Order: sequence, then structure tokens, then C-alpha cells
Amino acid sequence: MEDLKMDDEEALCAETWLRPSSGNSIRQPNQPSFTNFTLSNDQPEWEDPSLLDYGVRIGTSFSKYSFAPDQDGQSLQSNNSNSKRGEVNQQINEVLKIGKAQDWDPRAMLNNLSFLEQKIHQLQDLVHLIVSRKDQILQQSDELAMQQQQLITADLTSIIVQLISTAGSLLPSVKHNLTGPTAMAIGKHRHISEILCNSGLGLDATNISESHGMGPNVANQVEPTGDTAPSHHPLDEPELKEEDDADEGENLPPGSYEILQLEKEEILAPHTHFCTICGKGFKRDANLRMHMRGHGDEYKTPEALAKPNKGNSSEAMLLKRYSCPFAGCKRNKDHKKFQPLKTILCVKNHYKRTHCDKSYICSRCNTKKFSVIADLKTHEKHCGKDKWLCSCGTTFSRKDKLFGHIALFQGHTPAIPLEESRGVEGLLEQGETTGGEKNRIDQSINFSFNTESHNGSRVQNIMDMKGSIDDPSSYLSPINYDSFNEFSRAAFDDPDGGFSFLIPGSCNYGQKNGGQSCYSDL
Amino acid sequence: MSIVEALTADLLARVYRHLSCETDRKAWRLVCKEFHRVDSVSRPSIRVLRVEFLDSLLRKYTRIESLDLSVCPRIDDGTVSILLSGAADLFTPAVWRVIPPRFDSVKWTGRLRRLVLSHSTGLRHSGLEQLVRACPMLESIDVSYSQGFGDREAAAVSLAVGLRELKMDKCLGLTDVGLAKIAVGCPRLEKLSLKWCLEIGDLGVDLLCKKCFSLKFLDLSYLKVTNDSLRSIAPLISLEVLSILGCSLVDDVGLQFLGDGCPSLRVIDVSRCDAVSSSGIISIIRGHDCLEQLKASFSLVEVTPSLVDSLKDLKALTSFRIDGARASDCSLQSFSKNFKNLSEIGLSKCTGVTDIGIIQLVSGSSNLRLLDLTCCHSITDAAVFSVSNSCRNLTCLKLESCSIITEKGLYYLGSFCLLLEELDLTDCSCINNTGLKYLSRCSKLRSLKLGLCMCISDQGLCHIASNCKNIYELDLYKCCSIGDEGLEALSSSCKRLKILNISYCTRITDKGLEYISKLEELSDLDMRGLVQVTCLGITALAAGCKRLANLDMKHCQSVNDSGFWALAHHSRNLRQVNLSYSNISDLGLCMMMGNLTRLQDAKLLHLSNVTVQGFELALRACCMRIKKVKLVTSLRYRLSREIIETLHSRGCKIRWD
Repeated sequence: MEDLKMDDEEALCAETWLRPSSGNSIRQPNQPSFTNFTLSNDQPEWEDPSLLDYGVRIGTSFSKYSFAPDQDGQSLQSNNSNSKRGEVNQQINEVLKIGKAQDWDPRAMLNNLSFLEQKIHQLQDLVHLIVSRKDQILQQSDELAMQQQQLITADLTSIIVQLISTAGSLLPSVKHNLTGPTAMAIGKHRHISEILCNSGLGLDATNISESHGMGPNVANQVEPTGDTAPSHHPLDEPELKEEDDADEGENLPPGSYEILQLEKEEILAPHTHFCTICGKGFKRDANLRMHMRGHGDEYKTPEALAKPNKGNSSEAMLLKRYSCPFAGCKRNKDHKKFQPLKTILCVKNHYKRTHCDKSYICSRCNTKKFSVIADLKTHEKHCGKDKWLCSCGTTFSRKDKLFGHIALFQGHTPAIPLEESRGVEGLLEQGETTGGEKNRIDQSINFSFNTESHNGSRVQNIMDMKGSIDDPSSYLSPINYDSFNEFSRAAFDDPDGGFSFLIPGSCNYGQKNGGQSCYSDL
Repeated sequence: MSIVEALTADLLARVYRHLSCETDRKAWRLVCKEFHRVDSVSRPSIRVLRVEFLDSLLRKYTRIESLDLSVCPRIDDGTVSILLSGAADLFTPAVWRVIPPRFDSVKWTGRLRRLVLSHSTGLRHSGLEQLVRACPMLESIDVSYSQGFGDREAAAVSLAVGLRELKMDKCLGLTDVGLAKIAVGCPRLEKLSLKWCLEIGDLGVDLLCKKCFSLKFLDLSYLKVTNDSLRSIAPLISLEVLSILGCSLVDDVGLQFLGDGCPSLRVIDVSRCDAVSSSGIISIIRGHDCLEQLKASFSLVEVTPSLVDSLKDLKALTSFRIDGARASDCSLQSFSKNFKNLSEIGLSKCTGVTDIGIIQLVSGSSNLRLLDLTCCHSITDAAVFSVSNSCRNLTCLKLESCSIITEKGLYYLGSFCLLLEELDLTDCSCINNTGLKYLSRCSKLRSLKLGLCMCISDQGLCHIASNCKNIYELDLYKCCSIGDEGLEALSSSCKRLKILNISYCTRITDKGLEYISKLEELSDLDMRGLVQVTCLGITALAAGCKRLANLDMKHCQSVNDSGFWALAHHSRNLRQVNLSYSNISDLGLCMMMGNLTRLQDAKLLHLSNVTVQGFELALRACCMRIKKVKLVTSLRYRLSREIIETLHSRGCKIRWD
């Protein structure tokens, strides 16, 4: 593990511009199982006081970090580097274990890794060269430094892409956890992210982080494990199981998505399209796009003004999830078991249903109340009509559901309604059935489009497992590989290669970890 | 007399048990009191014709296990309540302490195993529920053709927990919900017939198959079920008989499910399933090499070589019907090679059937009992010869519209097929008296159809009458040469005749009807267009044929009111009558409709002498028991709303013509 040596050296010389490349080089081999790395492998090191210290500092000194790295950053760096040799070894072990679980040849994985190792060696040599030269010429022109940096970044990129493709081809379905750290590492330097922004790749990264009042530097500040110290996650095993059981739709790993929180007024406003920067609401998306021009030149391009092509762009886009502004709600991001909401419409419906008065009353039965008018309309379709009733008193809106129920429970029979006017209703219900199916299909499309639910929940588990990390068996579980899913998919779906998908991840990560802790600290 | 006294009641009962025919049992009853007593204590089943005797009959026959009320009009919830009024005590022990239950009056309900309530119009769910609740041993219920029955009645039926057999054909109101009730309530169901229950769908069938594992017989004919139902049926291990006649939504995919499932299947009927092809039938055959009966009438376009090939595997096949398909000579030939056991072949309306095909078919099938060659127009005496020669055991032969067949063919039949019981020669216009003479050698003949055989006359009929004493059904429709003499011969020797059609045999006069009146067993008489028959003939008929149940007198214009009065007076067992185009008057009609207490179906079209008031009165007189009436459309608006509504509310169906 030559790269680790380099880390040591880097720590000694403390060159600002080297840090990103070193950071990358460290993490590259780790990427396939990044979560493991951050969460479990070297827990004792992470509990190091300086690290904890670091965690506190994130909020206060992040803005200075990239310009004048202070001692804390350095010490953290060194702390990390001391442990990294072991980490990487363990990392590979992890990968091998995963391999077994997945039923592929661990030897092939080993070959791939050694190939990557070779590549990293080459890069290491290059960096060595630069370092030695730098020792000689202290007064280096910015231009030269920039060139070197770009050179290394390019190399690193190719390594990352290689690594992803190996990992991706072996592990068929993951995305977000990895994008976070890698991209973040790349985004560490403002220069780079600016370069990327100019090339149109890192657009989202900067924008989104800006929208939350943070420069791209936020990302720099937050080390991948910023909030992974045990003190931040007091969850223990039983709760983890609870999370498992909760089938509340998707369960994305924290940090794999960006959290947006609208204010109550915005939610109740009659708008459906909201500016992600200033939060202003619009009835039409076209108006929103016109509005976006005011936020900067990048929104004035014909591409930005054109109707968003969902097929291509959204795949690479950062996943957005929403938080309910109601404190203490499970859908609120501060909740211990936060369950994000998927869309703005979800937010609106959730907020109205859960935290608002039910002001719409069914005019037929005069008993059912609703806070969302669509719910009322749905109810009114059925209200007063014969339901499919079982002898046990359970009602069903559909005949097949009732028959399924009867087939399941011994002795239950359908109850015969008083007046026999079923014919028409039967037809109606058939129509609704097909409608329902259509909905379901839509949902499933959305679903696969976004992520796989179990994937998320499993990653969450890994995060949670930190609490019980003393148990060595806990982090040997094969769940880890799931976290690569979406990463690899992005890698293959995106024709531009490795970079475009790395950027959103970086911001994402910054948002989740740094951003949140910032909020709470400030 | 001494011999009779020597016999104990036990021995008498043993003898009694061997009486199968109803007339024999009636004769037994009339011997003496002791015989009558034996009859009443050992009789297992009863078929009640008139509701007024029901209560006393049920008190007398204490050991009955089967009660048939299907031909009994005027059964409704109230009647049932009265019948069971004693039975109610039995099930409320609290009452016992006050009034001891009258066990004698309710004994019959405790033993009853079989209940036939088909064609009921007045009965509703509450009455049915009372009946079912009162009879804890019920194993079989027949409520078929009770068109008003639906889910509520099904719910009532489902209270019979021990039910094994249920017929609900044409209970038009029955839906999946009712079927679900039955499926849940009667888990021991073995036989279920749901023919024509048009509201039943896949969901109901699916649930049925999940709840009633012991189903052996299932009839889903003419339902709108799809392949999904067959998928649900496939796991039924004990299913032996499946009928999906006329299920046009079922196709080969569904039959594939059956082919893979239902291991006990022996009989399957896929007739008139339009979407089924021979490949579907082959898939059934592959899965069930023990199949005994395969009916695929009017489903197949052609009998393909591959189908015939796969049939080879069915060693146990006894009955095979492919009516309406194209059957070439060579496919018929390969049949005979493969089936020595085949006893029944249906090839009616098959195209391409020739003499050669039939000759090849029968050459190997010596065990054939039934051969249906209806409308195989091109077969000749040669085919009949080979059939008679090869299949000496033939009992039923249908040759309707095989019009080239002559007396030669009948000669062969009369020479070789002495076991023949049923022969259909309708529209074989070359048949003559000589032919009937040859045929009369088949002395076991029971059913003979000679409709539209214009060449036969009294002489031929005399040959048949003299030799075929067992004949019970004779069709002489439009045999114009038949006259009174033929009927004389017939009535003097064929005492068992029950069904007779002499429509449009215009030579028949009152004399002929007088002869007919000697046929005491006659129950169905079709005498349309006998213009020479007057009130005298009808009076004789009414006085003689007490069992007459169905009478068609359409176009008997010479009959006047006194004839109808005689009918009203004597023919108390009349159930169906067609008086269209007759000269009946208001009074006659009122007498007929009011007096005939078993009348359930009347066709009353174009009665020129009957006024609207006459109809009104007549309908009023019978409205409590009539189930079906056919009237001219013009009356629809001339009759009072009240009478029409009364008829409808009693469940009577009015057909406007």
C-alpha cells in the first residue's frame, strides 16, 4: 500500500494542494465499501479525542479551512493516515467477504485490486516527483501548481472510474453512498469544483450547496466520517431492528440525498413548483424556469430554460428528499428515525393530513373529514355505495380483496347487502381496479428510478451498527455491498464517465453531514 | 288371502323394495290395508303433485328421505312455515317444557336427506332457510331453474353443513357472493351444478376450489368464466366430472391447466367452447390417460390426425363426441383401431362422414352401444349394414336426416341389432311400411321417431305395434298417411306408451282419439292440427288418459267448449297445455284455468273466441300456481295492470308473442 506511505509524507509536508489528491488516493481502494471503512473498520481511531474535537469544529471553522488549514485539520489528517494502512487491508478483506456473499470469484476481485494498486503506484511516483521538486522550489507559481494538480486529478479520476467499473460490474446495483465520499474528496478544492462547474458537470453541486448558504467549501470541511462518531448515533440493536421492520417505502441512507425543508407557508401556498434556491413557489414549471434566470447565468442557457428532459438528466441529478417543518414529526429531519418525504406533493399532502385541520367534510355522509381535497373526492366516489362486506365486519372496496380475505380466514363469509344493486357497482370497481393498477405501475417506475428501498435500509443499518461495533461479527455481514448499487448504475448509465455523478454526491454528503451539523451548531 | 296374511311386515317391506316403477307401487298400495301400511312406512321418497295433500302425506310417510316438490305448484314461504310449524318446537328446547313437541308431525324433517325444489317460483330465502334449518341430515338440494333465486337463497342453502350435492342451474340471481357462502358453509360438497348461473365469475370459482376440496362433480356450463377458473380447478384432487359446456372465454391455455391438474378426472365436456382447439384437447388427453368420456361437440373444426393420434393413449375411453367437426374417412379409421371399448360415438352434424368412414369406424368397435349420425346426410344402407353387422349390441341409433336410407337399412337393423331400444328415423323420407315391418323385429324398441316419414301408413304402424310392446315414445309428426286404424293397433298392444306425437296426422278423427284414450299411461300428447277431432274425441281422451300432463292442441279448431270442459273436469294432472288457435270461449278457458290445479304452463295465443275479460278472469283463477303463460302482445296493454303485477309477484313468467 504505497499510497499510504505517501499519506505519511503528505502529512509531514502539509502541502495544501496535495491534500485532495492524497485524500483521493487513500479512498480510492476503499470506495467499493466506503461505508465499512468509515463506519466500522477503525472505530477506535475515530474515537480519538482529536477527531471528536474535529467534529465540534466543523461548524465553527469550516470557512477558513480550505484557505488556511489549521492544526486541527492537520492532526486529523495524521491521525487518519496512521490508521489507513490497516484500513485498506481490512477494506480488501471486506470486499472479499462481500464477494463470497455475492457468489463471485474473490480471486477476480483480487486481480482487479492489484491492477488498481499498480495504477496507484504509478500515480504515487508522480506525486513523489512533484513533492521532491517542490522541496527544491518553494516559490512555485500558481500556474504550475494548478497544472500539477490537474494532472493528478486526471489520473485519480481514471483510477476511480476503473475502480467503479470493476466494482460495478461485480456488484450490480448500488449508487449513493459512494458518490458522496469520492465526489466530496474531489470537491475538496474549490479550483476543481470550479473547473467542473465551468464544464457544466458540477453545476448542481455548487448550486445546491449555495442554496443552503454554504459554499462548496463546506464539503471540504466535512470529512466523510464527520458525524459517524458513536456519540452522534446512539442507536443500538433493537432500534435497528425496528427500522428493518418499518416498511415505510424507501429507506435511503442518510447522506445519499439532499434534504429540503419548506416552510409551513410555502407548503400551504397553492403552488406546486418551488425554487430550490429561494423557495419561491410557482403554479407552473415554466414560470419557475423563467424565475431561475434571476439566480445566475447558468440558468440562462437554452438547456436550463428548455423543458427538463427527465430521461437523461434526473438520473445523474442528486436525489432530493423533503423534510416536514413540523418539529417532532417523524418526517422532520431532526427526528431520530427521520423518514424523508419523496416529493413536494408528498410534503404538501403529509403536512395537510397530519398537521392541519380536516376542513373538507363529505357532503354525503357528513361524517368523514379530510384535509386534502383529493382525498375527499376519492372518498366521495365510494361514499354511500355498497361495500364488499365480510361477515366479520371488515369492509373492502374491491371484490377480489374480500374474496382473498374469505379464502384466508376460516369460517368468514361475504355478507349480503340489503338491496341488491351490485351489477353497476361491480363494473365501477373494475374500472377502479385498473386505475389502481396503473397507479401501482407508476409507483414502481418511480421507485426503481430513484433507488431500491432495501438498499437504503441496509445502508442505514450499517450506519447504525457503529453503536455495536465492538461485536466483531456485526460488520462482517454481507449487507455492505448493497451500498454500491446506485453508484455502479450511475457509472454505467452516464456516458460522461465518472465525474458527473461524483459531483452531486459530494454536495449531497456535505449537506447531510456537514450541513446538518452546521445548522444544529449555529 | 292366507298367503298375504302369512307374510310379516318385514318380508313385505323386502318385497316392496324391489318395486322400481311408480305404477307398480301404486298397484301395491291398492292391494290391502297391510300392503298400504308397508308402503307408507318403508317408502323412501315422495314426489308431491298437489300441495293440498302435502301435509297429510308427510305425516303418513314417516320414513321418507327424499322429498320432491318440483312439480308441485304453490310452494311458498307460508306453506313451508305451516309445514314446519311443529318442527319449530323441536329446535327451541325452552318451549318443550311448556308444550311437549309433536314428534309425529315433524319426524320427516329429521330423516330427510334429499330435497328437490327445482322450478320453484313462490319460495324465497326465508322459507328455504326454515326448511334447511329443520332438516339437519340434508345431503342433497336441488333448486335448479328457480330463476328468482340468488345470493340470499344461496345463503339459506349454505346452512346445510352436511351438503354433498347441490344443483343451482339457472338460479339467475346467484353471484360470486352467494357461491362464496355455499363454498364456506358446505365444505363437504361433492357435486355442484352451476349451469347458466351467469353472474358467477372466476373469483367465486376460485374460492369454491379453495374451500371445497372434495368436489367430484362440477358443472360450470355457460358461465362467463375464463382460464383463471380452470387454473383454480386444476388442484382439485378428487374431481371426476367437469362440464364447461359453452364457456366461450375458455381456451387452450385453460385446458392446459386441466391437463396438468385434476388427477382423478374421468369425464370432461368441453362442447361449444368456441375458443378451444384440438391442441387444448390433446393437452387434456396427455394429462389423463384414464379419461372415460370426452365430449367436444361443436368446439372443433376438424378432427386432426394429431388428435386421433393422442387418443390412442386413452384405453379406458368409452364415450367420445365430436359433433359438428369435420371428420374424414381416415381419421375415423384410426378411431376403430384404437378403441375396442368405445361404447358411445357422437358424430352428429359432422361433415365429410361417408359410408367408407362409417364402415371403417364400426369395423373395430364391436362394443358400440350408442351411435349418433344425425345429419350425416351422405350415408346409405351400406353404412347401416356395416353398423348393424358389427355392433350387435347397439341400443341407440340416431339417423335423423339420413334421407337416403331405405327399407334395406332397416332390414339389416331388424336382422342384427335385436337389442335396439332407441331409433331416430326423423326425416328419413324413403322409409316405408316394409321397412317398419323389418324393423319390428327389434322387439325391445322403446323409442321410435318417425316424424316426417311421409311414406309410412297404418299398415306399417300395425307391424310396429304388434311386435314392439315396450314402446313408450312414438313420434309420428306429420306422417300424413297415419289414420285411426294405426292408432287402434297401437292402443291395443303398446300399453306402456307415454309420449305420443300425432301432430298434423290430419286423417285422425274422434275415433282415433277414442283408441288413444285406452292408453292409461299416456302423459304427453302432441296433437296439433287435428282438424277432424271434435269435443267427442277430446272428452274420450280426458276421461281415459288420467295421467295426461302435457297436451298440445294447437290448431284443433273443431273442438268446442264441451271438450274443454271435459278436460277441465277429468285431466286433473295436466301441467302444460297449448290451446293456441282453438275455439275455446271465455267460459271454457276460465274452467280450464281455474279447475286444473296442477296447471303450470299455458300457451294461449290467438284465441278468437276469448275476450279480454275472459283472459282476465282465467288468469285470476290460476294466478296463484301458474308459472309460465304465453299471450299475444296486444293483450299486454289491454289486460289490467293489477293482474300482470300479481302474476309477476308470484314469479310467473309471461311471454308476449
